[in-house]
Amino acid sequence: MGYVAVKGGTEAIEASIDRLKYERLKGGEQVDVSAILSSMRLLIDQVMSEASLYSPELAALAIKQAEGSMEEAVFLLRAHRSTLPRLYYSETVEPERMAVERRISASFKDIPGGQLLGATHDYTHRLIDYSLLEEEEEERKQWLEQYEAELSALEDAAGDGTYPKVVEYLRDEGLFETFEPDNAEPDDVTKNVFQFPASRSERLQILTRGQTGAVTALGYASLRGYGQVHPTVGEVRVGQLPITVPAHGSEDGDDSYYIGSVRATEVESFVPMPAKGPDGKQELRFEIGYGICYGQNETKAIAMSILDQCLEHPGSDAPSHDEEFVLLHVDTVESTGFISHLKMPHYVTFQSKLDSVRNTRKGRDGHES
Amino acid sequence: MKRRRMTEILIEGNPELADRLASEIRHHYPVRELVAPRQGLTMIKMRETAKQSLFYLGEVLVTEAKVEIGDHIGVGIVAGVREKLAGDLAVIDAACRAGLSETAGWSAMLEAEEIRLADRNRRELAALEKTKVQFDTMEE
Repeated sequence: MGYVAVKGGTEAIEASIDRLKYERLKGGEQVDVSAILSSMRLLIDQVMSEASLYSPELAALAIKQAEGSMEEAVFLLRAHRSTLPRLYYSETVEPERMAVERRISASFKDIPGGQLLGATHDYTHRLIDYSLLEEEEEERKQWLEQYEAELSALEDAAGDGTYPKVVEYLRDEGLFETFEPDNAEPDDVTKNVFQFPASRSERLQILTRGQTGAVTALGYASLRGYGQVHPTVGEVRVGQLPITVPAHGSEDGDDSYYIGSVRATEVESFVPMPAKGPDGKQELRFEIGYGICYGQNETKAIAMSILDQCLEHPGSDAPSHDEEFVLLHVDTVESTGFISHLKMPHYVTFQSKLDSVRNTRKGRDGHES
Repeated sequence: MKRRRMTEILIEGNPELADRLASEIRHHYPVRELVAPRQGLTMIKMRETAKQSLFYLGEVLVTEAKVEIGDHIGVGIVAGVREKLAGDLAVIDAACRAGLSETAGWSAMLEAEEIRLADRNRRELAALEKTKVQFDTMEE
Protein backbone atom coordinates (compact mmCIF):
# COMPACT_ATOMS: atom_id res chain seq x y z
CA MET A 1 0.00 0.00 0.00
CA GLY A 2 1.44 3.38 -1.02
CA TYR A 3 1.26 6.76 0.67
CA VAL A 4 -1.92 8.80 0.10
CA ALA A 5 -1.73 12.59 0.07
CA VAL A 6 -4.28 14.36 2.26
CA LYS A 7 -4.87 18.02 2.96
CA GLY A 8 -6.52 20.05 5.64
CA GLY A 9 -5.72 21.50 9.00
CA THR A 10 -4.36 24.82 7.70
CA GLU A 11 -6.34 26.88 10.17
CA ALA A 12 -5.46 24.55 13.01
CA ILE A 13 -1.76 24.82 12.11
CA GLU A 14 -1.93 28.61 12.08
CA ALA A 15 -3.64 28.56 15.46
CA SER A 16 -0.98 26.15 16.74
CA ILE A 17 1.81 28.51 15.67
CA ASP A 18 0.03 31.38 17.45
CA ARG A 19 -0.22 29.14 20.51
CA LEU A 20 3.53 28.51 20.31
CA LYS A 21 4.20 32.24 20.28
CA TYR A 22 1.80 32.70 23.16
CA GLU A 23 3.71 30.10 25.21
CA ARG A 24 6.94 32.03 24.55
CA LEU A 25 5.47 35.41 25.46
CA LYS A 26 2.84 34.77 28.13
CA GLY A 27 5.29 34.89 31.04
CA GLY A 28 5.67 38.58 30.37
CA GLU A 29 9.48 38.59 30.49
CA GLN A 30 11.77 38.07 27.57
CA VAL A 31 15.47 37.39 27.41
CA ASP A 32 17.32 39.50 24.83
CA VAL A 33 19.67 37.85 22.36
CA SER A 34 22.46 39.99 23.83
CA ALA A 35 21.70 38.54 27.29
CA ILE A 36 21.89 34.99 25.89
CA LEU A 37 25.17 35.91 24.20
CA SER A 38 26.74 37.23 27.37
CA SER A 39 25.42 34.67 29.86
CA MET A 40 24.76 31.35 28.06
CA ARG A 41 28.28 30.74 26.72
CA LEU A 42 28.32 26.97 27.11
CA LEU A 43 24.83 26.49 25.67
CA ILE A 44 25.83 28.58 22.64
CA ASP A 45 29.02 26.48 22.31
CA GLN A 46 27.02 23.26 22.27
CA VAL A 47 24.54 24.54 19.67
CA MET A 48 27.36 25.76 17.39
CA SER A 49 29.22 22.48 17.75
CA GLU A 50 26.23 20.30 16.85
CA ALA A 51 25.15 22.65 14.06
CA SER A 52 28.73 22.66 12.71
CA LEU A 53 28.38 26.41 12.25
CA TYR A 54 30.44 28.84 14.30
CA SER A 55 28.38 31.96 14.91
CA PRO A 56 27.65 32.91 18.53
CA GLU A 57 25.19 35.61 17.36
CA LEU A 58 23.08 33.27 15.24
CA ALA A 59 23.27 30.50 17.85
CA ALA A 60 21.94 32.90 20.51
CA LEU A 61 19.11 33.96 18.22
CA ALA A 62 18.29 30.32 17.44
CA ILE A 63 18.19 29.52 21.17
CA LYS A 64 15.72 32.35 21.75
CA GLN A 65 13.56 31.31 18.80
CA ALA A 66 13.63 27.65 19.90
CA GLU A 67 12.69 28.53 23.52
CA GLY A 68 15.91 26.86 24.63
CA SER A 69 15.36 23.55 22.82
CA MET A 70 18.77 22.24 21.78
CA GLU A 71 17.51 20.08 18.94
CA GLU A 72 15.34 22.87 17.54
CA ALA A 73 18.15 25.46 17.78
CA VAL A 74 20.58 23.12 16.01
CA PHE A 75 17.97 22.40 13.33
CA LEU A 76 17.45 26.16 12.78
CA LEU A 77 21.19 26.78 12.39
CA ARG A 78 21.65 23.82 10.03
CA ALA A 79 18.71 25.04 7.94
CA HIS A 80 20.07 28.59 7.86
CA ARG A 81 23.52 27.34 6.93
CA SER A 82 22.06 25.59 3.89
CA THR A 83 20.88 28.98 2.55
CA LEU A 84 24.34 30.55 2.64
CA PRO A 85 27.07 30.28 0.00
CA ARG A 86 30.35 28.69 1.02
CA LEU A 87 32.70 31.46 0.01
CA TYR A 88 36.08 30.18 1.24
CA TYR A 89 38.09 27.30 2.62
CA SER A 90 40.55 28.21 5.35
CA GLU A 91 44.23 27.52 5.25
CA THR A 92 45.11 24.47 7.33
CA VAL A 93 44.69 25.27 11.02
CA GLU A 94 47.63 23.83 12.95
CA PRO A 95 46.41 23.05 16.48
CA GLU A 96 49.74 24.03 18.06
CA ARG A 97 48.84 27.62 17.25
CA MET A 98 45.89 27.62 19.63
CA ALA A 99 45.97 30.55 22.07
CA VAL A 100 45.36 28.44 25.16
CA GLU A 101 42.86 29.49 27.84
CA ARG A 102 42.76 26.19 29.70
CA ARG A 103 44.98 23.13 29.57
CA ILE A 104 45.17 20.11 31.83
CA SER A 105 46.65 16.63 31.72
CA ALA A 106 45.40 13.56 33.55
CA SER A 107 48.57 11.66 32.62
CA PHE A 108 51.28 13.83 34.14
CA LYS A 109 51.36 16.16 37.12
CA ASP A 110 54.22 18.18 35.69
CA ILE A 111 53.80 19.11 32.06
CA PRO A 112 55.97 21.63 30.22
CA GLY A 113 54.25 24.98 30.61
CA GLY A 114 52.18 23.75 33.54
CA GLN A 115 48.53 22.94 34.10
CA LEU A 116 46.29 25.91 33.46
CA LEU A 117 42.81 25.55 34.94
CA GLY A 118 41.26 28.53 33.14
CA ALA A 119 37.48 28.82 33.52
CA THR A 120 35.74 25.56 34.49
CA HIS A 121 32.87 24.22 36.57
CA ASP A 122 35.02 21.22 37.52
CA TYR A 123 36.01 22.51 40.95
CA THR A 124 32.73 24.13 41.95
CA HIS A 125 30.27 22.75 44.48
CA ARG A 126 27.29 21.31 42.64
CA LEU A 127 24.86 23.01 44.99
CA ILE A 128 22.12 25.35 43.83
CA ASP A 129 23.29 28.90 44.45
CA TYR A 130 20.20 30.67 45.75
CA SER A 131 22.08 33.97 45.91
CA LEU A 132 21.73 34.20 42.11
CA LEU A 133 18.00 34.74 42.66
CA GLU A 134 18.83 38.09 44.21
CA GLU A 135 21.84 39.03 42.09
CA GLU A 136 21.68 42.77 41.46
CA GLU A 137 23.28 44.65 38.59
CA GLU A 138 25.20 46.92 40.95
CA GLU A 139 26.61 43.90 42.76
CA ARG A 140 27.72 42.33 39.45
CA LYS A 141 29.36 45.56 38.37
CA GLN A 142 31.25 45.88 41.64
CA TRP A 143 32.51 42.31 41.45
CA LEU A 144 33.72 42.85 37.87
CA GLU A 145 35.47 46.11 38.74
CA GLN A 146 37.24 44.52 41.69
CA TYR A 147 38.29 41.47 39.67
CA GLU A 148 39.59 43.61 36.81
CA ALA A 149 41.46 45.87 39.23
CA GLU A 150 43.19 42.82 40.71
CA LEU A 151 44.17 41.66 37.23
CA SER A 152 45.52 45.04 36.20
CA ALA A 153 47.87 44.90 39.17
CA LEU A 154 49.41 41.67 37.90
CA GLU A 155 52.73 41.66 36.15
CA ASP A 156 52.37 41.09 32.42
CA ALA A 157 53.06 37.53 31.35
CA ALA A 158 55.55 36.60 28.68
CA GLY A 159 54.76 34.40 25.67
CA ASP A 160 52.00 34.33 23.11
CA GLY A 161 49.58 31.93 24.80
CA THR A 162 50.70 28.86 22.86
CA TYR A 163 51.96 25.78 24.70
CA PRO A 164 53.94 22.72 23.60
CA LYS A 165 51.92 19.52 23.19
CA VAL A 166 52.36 16.93 25.95
CA VAL A 167 52.43 14.18 23.34
CA GLU A 168 55.46 15.64 21.55
CA TYR A 169 57.68 14.85 24.54
CA LEU A 170 56.52 11.25 24.54
CA ARG A 171 57.00 11.02 20.78
CA ASP A 172 60.59 12.11 21.31
CA GLU A 173 60.97 9.12 23.64
CA GLY A 174 59.66 6.77 20.93
CA LEU A 175 56.61 5.80 22.99
CA PHE A 176 54.28 7.00 20.23
CA GLU A 177 54.50 6.41 16.52
CA THR A 178 55.58 9.50 14.61
CA PHE A 179 53.66 10.56 11.51
CA GLU A 180 54.72 12.93 8.78
CA PRO A 181 52.14 15.63 7.97
CA ASP A 182 49.60 14.16 5.55
CA ASN A 183 48.28 16.97 3.36
CA ALA A 184 45.80 14.89 1.37
CA GLU A 185 42.62 16.91 0.84
CA PRO A 186 39.95 15.79 3.32
CA ASP A 187 36.56 14.41 2.30
CA ASP A 188 33.54 16.54 3.15
CA VAL A 189 30.37 14.83 4.39
CA THR A 190 28.37 18.01 3.74
CA LYS A 191 29.16 17.81 0.02
CA ASN A 192 29.18 14.08 -0.67
CA VAL A 193 27.31 11.15 0.84
CA PHE A 194 29.94 9.00 2.49
CA GLN A 195 30.21 5.27 2.00
CA PHE A 196 31.59 2.59 4.26
CA PRO A 197 34.34 2.18 5.11
CA ALA A 198 34.47 5.90 5.87
CA SER A 199 37.73 7.80 5.50
CA ARG A 200 39.44 9.15 8.61
CA SER A 201 38.50 12.72 7.63
CA GLU A 202 34.82 11.73 7.27
CA ARG A 203 34.85 9.99 10.67
CA LEU A 204 36.36 13.02 12.42
CA GLN A 205 33.97 15.44 10.71
CA ILE A 206 30.91 13.40 11.68
CA LEU A 207 32.07 12.97 15.28
CA THR A 208 32.94 16.64 15.80
CA ARG A 209 29.45 17.71 14.66
CA GLY A 210 27.77 14.89 16.57
CA GLN A 211 25.18 15.38 19.29
CA THR A 212 26.91 15.86 22.63
CA GLY A 213 24.65 13.34 24.37
CA ALA A 214 25.00 10.70 21.67
CA VAL A 215 28.80 11.01 21.38
CA THR A 216 29.10 10.94 25.18
CA ALA A 217 26.79 7.93 25.52
CA LEU A 218 28.69 5.85 22.96
CA GLY A 219 32.07 6.86 24.42
CA TYR A 220 30.79 5.87 27.86
CA ALA A 221 29.50 2.57 26.48
CA SER A 222 33.01 1.80 25.26
CA LEU A 223 34.39 2.37 28.76
CA ARG A 224 31.73 0.12 30.27
CA GLY A 225 32.61 -2.84 28.10
CA TYR A 226 30.81 -2.24 24.80
CA GLY A 227 34.19 -1.34 23.37
CA GLN A 228 37.83 -1.99 24.04
CA VAL A 229 39.16 1.50 24.61
CA HIS A 230 39.73 2.95 28.07
CA PRO A 231 42.20 5.77 27.65
CA THR A 232 44.09 8.15 29.89
CA VAL A 233 43.56 11.75 28.91
CA GLY A 234 46.94 13.06 27.83
CA GLU A 235 45.83 16.64 27.36
CA VAL A 236 42.64 18.67 27.26
CA ARG A 237 42.99 22.20 25.97
CA VAL A 238 40.53 24.98 25.34
CA GLY A 239 41.47 28.09 23.43
CA GLN A 240 41.23 30.22 20.34
CA LEU A 241 42.26 28.89 16.94
CA PRO A 242 43.26 31.63 14.48
CA ILE A 243 41.62 31.27 11.06
CA THR A 244 43.17 32.52 7.82
CA VAL A 245 42.01 32.39 4.22
CA PRO A 246 44.52 32.25 1.35
CA ALA A 247 44.73 35.25 -0.98
CA HIS A 248 43.69 34.40 -4.53
CA GLY A 249 46.70 33.28 -6.55
CA SER A 250 49.19 33.51 -3.66
CA GLU A 251 50.81 30.72 -1.69
CA ASP A 252 52.59 33.09 0.66
CA GLY A 253 51.11 32.65 4.15
CA ASP A 254 51.97 36.27 5.00
CA ASP A 255 49.73 37.32 2.14
CA SER A 256 46.65 35.52 3.47
CA TYR A 257 43.64 37.12 5.16
CA TYR A 258 43.23 36.73 8.92
CA ILE A 259 39.46 36.54 9.50
CA GLY A 260 39.17 35.96 13.25
CA SER A 261 39.37 33.02 15.63
CA VAL A 262 37.12 30.24 16.90
CA ARG A 263 37.14 28.79 20.41
CA ALA A 264 37.57 25.01 20.45
CA THR A 265 38.22 22.15 22.87
CA GLU A 266 40.88 19.65 21.82
CA VAL A 267 41.72 16.31 23.45
CA GLU A 268 44.46 13.75 22.98
CA SER A 269 43.79 10.47 24.76
CA PHE A 270 46.54 7.93 25.26
CA VAL A 271 45.74 4.26 24.70
CA PRO A 272 48.32 1.44 25.11
CA MET A 273 48.15 -0.96 22.16
CA PRO A 274 50.20 -4.04 21.21
CA ALA A 275 52.59 -3.38 18.32
CA LYS A 276 55.59 -4.98 16.68
CA GLY A 277 58.91 -3.48 17.73
CA PRO A 278 61.90 -2.89 15.44
CA ASP A 279 63.22 -6.38 16.34
CA GLY A 280 59.90 -7.97 15.37
CA LYS A 281 58.98 -8.72 18.96
CA GLN A 282 55.60 -7.83 20.38
CA GLU A 283 55.64 -4.73 22.58
CA LEU A 284 53.26 -2.10 23.88
CA ARG A 285 53.07 1.30 22.31
CA PHE A 286 50.71 4.21 22.88
CA GLU A 287 48.24 5.36 20.29
CA ILE A 288 46.29 8.61 20.34
CA GLY A 289 42.54 9.03 20.22
CA TYR A 290 41.75 12.50 18.91
CA GLY A 291 38.80 14.68 19.85
CA ILE A 292 37.93 18.28 19.06
CA CYS A 293 34.80 20.40 18.90
CA TYR A 294 33.67 23.99 18.70
CA GLY A 295 33.48 25.88 21.97
CA GLN A 296 34.21 24.60 25.45
CA ASN A 297 32.69 21.12 25.62
CA GLU A 298 35.24 18.85 27.25
CA THR A 299 32.98 15.85 27.80
CA LYS A 300 32.14 15.67 24.11
CA ALA A 301 35.76 16.10 23.00
CA ILE A 302 36.96 13.36 25.38
CA ALA A 303 34.16 11.01 24.24
CA MET A 304 35.07 11.76 20.62
CA SER A 305 38.68 10.81 21.31
CA ILE A 306 37.48 7.43 22.65
CA LEU A 307 35.30 6.82 19.59
CA ASP A 308 38.08 7.92 17.21
CA GLN A 309 40.34 5.27 18.72
CA CYS A 310 37.54 2.66 18.65
CA LEU A 311 36.89 3.30 14.96
CA GLU A 312 40.60 3.06 14.16
CA HIS A 313 40.34 -0.58 15.31
CA PRO A 314 37.24 -1.99 13.63
CA GLY A 315 38.15 -5.64 14.31
CA SER A 316 36.28 -5.82 17.61
CA ASP A 317 32.72 -7.15 17.81
CA ALA A 318 31.83 -4.38 20.28
CA PRO A 319 29.29 -1.87 18.92
CA SER A 320 31.42 1.21 19.60
CA HIS A 321 33.98 -0.18 17.12
CA ASP A 322 31.32 -0.51 14.41
CA GLU A 323 31.53 2.65 12.31
CA GLU A 324 28.09 2.22 10.81
CA PHE A 325 26.60 1.95 14.31
CA VAL A 326 28.49 5.00 15.57
CA LEU A 327 28.57 7.35 12.58
CA LEU A 328 24.96 6.91 11.48
CA HIS A 329 23.50 7.56 14.93
CA VAL A 330 25.30 10.56 16.42
CA ASP A 331 24.01 13.39 14.24
CA THR A 332 21.47 15.64 16.01
CA VAL A 333 19.34 16.53 13.01
CA GLU A 334 19.32 13.02 11.57
CA SER A 335 18.43 11.26 14.82
CA THR A 336 15.93 13.78 16.19
CA GLY A 337 14.45 14.23 12.72
CA PHE A 338 13.85 10.54 12.23
CA ILE A 339 12.52 9.95 15.71
CA SER A 340 10.20 12.93 15.57
CA HIS A 341 8.86 12.02 12.13
CA LEU A 342 7.11 9.15 13.90
CA LYS A 343 4.55 11.64 15.25
CA MET A 344 3.64 12.78 11.74
CA PRO A 345 0.50 11.27 10.19
CA HIS A 346 0.90 7.56 9.39
CA TYR A 347 -2.83 7.00 8.98
CA VAL A 348 -2.65 4.69 5.99
CA THR A 349 0.30 2.58 7.14
CA PHE A 350 -1.27 2.17 10.55
CA GLN A 351 -4.62 1.28 8.98
CA SER A 352 -2.81 -1.48 7.12
CA LYS A 353 -1.24 -2.77 10.34
CA LEU A 354 -4.62 -2.58 12.03
CA ASP A 355 -6.21 -4.63 9.25
CA SER A 356 -3.49 -7.27 9.60
CA VAL A 357 -4.00 -7.54 13.35
CA ARG A 358 -7.79 -7.72 12.97
CA ASN A 359 -7.50 -10.39 10.29
CA THR A 360 -5.19 -12.58 12.39
CA ARG A 361 -7.51 -12.24 15.38
CA LYS A 362 -10.54 -13.02 13.20
CA GLY A 363 -8.82 -16.15 11.90
CA ARG A 364 -7.84 -17.27 15.40
CA ASP A 365 -11.30 -16.56 16.81
CA GLY A 366 -12.91 -18.40 13.89
CA HIS A 367 -10.58 -21.38 14.40
CA GLU A 368 -11.31 -21.54 18.10
CA SER A 369 -15.06 -21.41 17.56
CA MET B 1 53.04 45.59 6.16
CA LYS B 2 51.97 42.12 4.98
CA ARG B 3 48.27 41.39 4.67
CA ARG B 4 48.16 38.61 7.30
CA ARG B 5 49.54 40.89 9.98
CA MET B 6 47.53 43.93 8.92
CA THR B 7 44.17 42.15 8.82
CA GLU B 8 44.76 40.67 12.28
CA ILE B 9 45.44 44.12 13.73
CA LEU B 10 42.39 45.61 12.02
CA ILE B 11 40.04 42.77 13.03
CA GLU B 12 41.23 42.21 16.60
CA GLY B 13 41.91 45.89 17.28
CA ASN B 14 39.62 48.86 17.63
CA PRO B 15 37.32 48.97 14.55
CA GLU B 16 37.65 52.75 14.56
CA LEU B 17 41.11 52.32 13.04
CA ALA B 18 39.72 50.46 10.00
CA ASP B 19 37.01 53.11 9.74
CA ARG B 20 39.59 55.90 9.79
CA LEU B 21 41.85 54.32 7.15
CA ALA B 22 38.96 53.42 4.82
CA SER B 23 37.39 56.87 5.20
CA GLU B 24 40.64 58.48 4.15
CA ILE B 25 40.61 56.47 0.91
CA ARG B 26 36.90 56.99 0.26
CA HIS B 27 37.45 60.73 0.67
CA HIS B 28 40.11 60.88 -2.06
CA TYR B 29 39.19 58.13 -4.55
CA PRO B 30 36.06 56.77 -6.19
CA VAL B 31 35.33 53.35 -4.66
CA ARG B 32 33.09 51.04 -6.68
CA GLU B 33 31.22 48.42 -4.67
CA LEU B 34 31.44 45.04 -6.42
CA VAL B 35 29.92 42.89 -3.69
CA ALA B 36 27.99 44.64 -0.93
CA PRO B 37 28.74 43.18 2.52
CA ARG B 38 27.04 39.79 2.62
CA GLN B 39 27.02 36.75 4.85
CA GLY B 40 28.56 33.47 3.77
CA LEU B 41 30.54 30.54 5.08
CA THR B 42 34.17 29.57 5.39
CA MET B 43 34.95 25.89 5.89
CA ILE B 44 37.76 25.30 8.38
CA LYS B 45 40.40 22.80 7.35
CA MET B 46 42.21 21.41 10.36
CA ARG B 47 45.13 19.12 11.12
CA GLU B 48 44.58 16.46 13.78
CA THR B 49 47.51 15.50 15.97
CA ALA B 50 47.02 11.73 16.19
CA LYS B 51 47.96 10.88 12.58
CA GLN B 52 48.73 14.39 11.27
CA SER B 53 45.97 14.14 8.66
CA LEU B 54 43.52 16.84 7.57
CA PHE B 55 39.76 17.02 8.15
CA TYR B 56 37.01 19.64 8.15
CA LEU B 57 36.20 21.01 11.59
CA GLY B 58 33.08 22.88 10.47
CA GLU B 59 32.02 26.18 8.99
CA VAL B 60 32.28 29.68 10.39
CA LEU B 61 29.88 32.47 9.47
CA VAL B 62 31.73 35.32 7.74
CA THR B 63 30.87 38.70 6.26
CA GLU B 64 32.48 39.40 2.91
CA ALA B 65 32.69 42.57 0.80
CA LYS B 66 34.48 43.43 -2.45
CA VAL B 67 35.29 46.84 -3.89
CA GLU B 68 37.28 48.23 -6.81
CA ILE B 69 39.56 51.26 -6.83
CA GLY B 70 40.90 51.97 -10.30
CA ASP B 71 41.48 48.47 -11.60
CA HIS B 72 42.43 47.02 -8.23
CA ILE B 73 39.97 44.76 -6.43
CA GLY B 74 39.95 44.67 -2.63
CA VAL B 75 38.44 41.94 -0.49
CA GLY B 76 37.23 42.22 3.09
CA ILE B 77 36.48 39.04 5.05
CA VAL B 78 35.75 38.83 8.75
CA ALA B 79 34.18 36.18 10.98
CA GLY B 80 30.74 37.05 12.32
CA VAL B 81 28.16 39.60 11.24
CA ARG B 82 30.29 42.74 10.81
CA GLU B 83 29.16 44.50 7.66
CA LYS B 84 30.78 47.87 8.32
CA LEU B 85 34.14 46.33 9.12
CA ALA B 86 34.03 44.00 6.08
CA GLY B 87 33.40 47.01 3.82
CA ASP B 88 36.25 48.98 5.42
CA LEU B 89 38.62 46.01 5.10
CA ALA B 90 37.79 45.71 1.39
CA VAL B 91 38.61 49.38 0.80
CA ILE B 92 41.88 49.09 2.74
CA ASP B 93 42.79 45.93 0.80
CA ALA B 94 42.13 47.64 -2.56
CA ALA B 95 44.15 50.68 -1.48
CA CYS B 96 47.11 48.48 -0.54
CA ARG B 97 46.89 46.50 -3.79
CA ALA B 98 46.82 49.78 -5.74
CA GLY B 99 49.77 51.11 -3.74
CA LEU B 100 47.96 54.39 -3.05
CA SER B 101 50.18 57.07 -1.49
CA GLU B 102 48.00 57.28 1.66
CA THR B 103 48.90 53.71 2.61
CA ALA B 104 52.53 54.71 3.13
CA GLY B 105 51.55 56.59 6.27
CA TRP B 106 49.53 53.77 7.82
CA SER B 107 52.35 51.68 9.28
CA ALA B 108 52.79 53.82 12.38
CA MET B 109 49.08 53.71 13.23
CA LEU B 110 48.89 49.96 12.65
CA GLU B 111 52.01 49.31 14.70
CA ALA B 112 50.67 51.43 17.56
CA GLU B 113 47.45 49.39 17.55
CA GLU B 114 49.50 46.18 17.42
CA ILE B 115 51.38 47.27 20.54
CA ARG B 116 48.07 47.99 22.29
CA LEU B 117 46.81 44.54 21.31
CA ALA B 118 50.01 42.89 22.56
CA ASP B 119 49.61 44.69 25.92
CA ARG B 120 46.02 43.46 26.15
CA ASN B 121 47.11 39.91 25.36
CA ARG B 122 49.87 40.00 27.96
CA ARG B 123 47.40 41.13 30.62
CA GLU B 124 45.01 38.36 29.56
CA LEU B 125 47.85 35.84 29.77
CA ALA B 126 48.79 37.09 33.22
CA ALA B 127 45.17 36.63 34.34
CA LEU B 128 45.18 33.06 33.01
CA GLU B 129 48.55 32.40 34.67
CA LYS B 130 46.81 32.97 38.01
CA THR B 131 44.93 29.71 37.36
CA LYS B 132 48.13 27.73 36.86
CA VAL B 133 48.48 24.89 39.38
CA GLN B 134 51.44 24.94 41.76
CA PHE B 135 51.69 21.37 43.01
CA ASP B 136 53.02 20.77 46.50
CA THR B 137 54.05 17.26 47.45
CA MET B 138 52.23 16.14 50.57
CA GLU B 139 54.38 14.83 53.39
CA GLU B 140 53.56 11.98 55.75
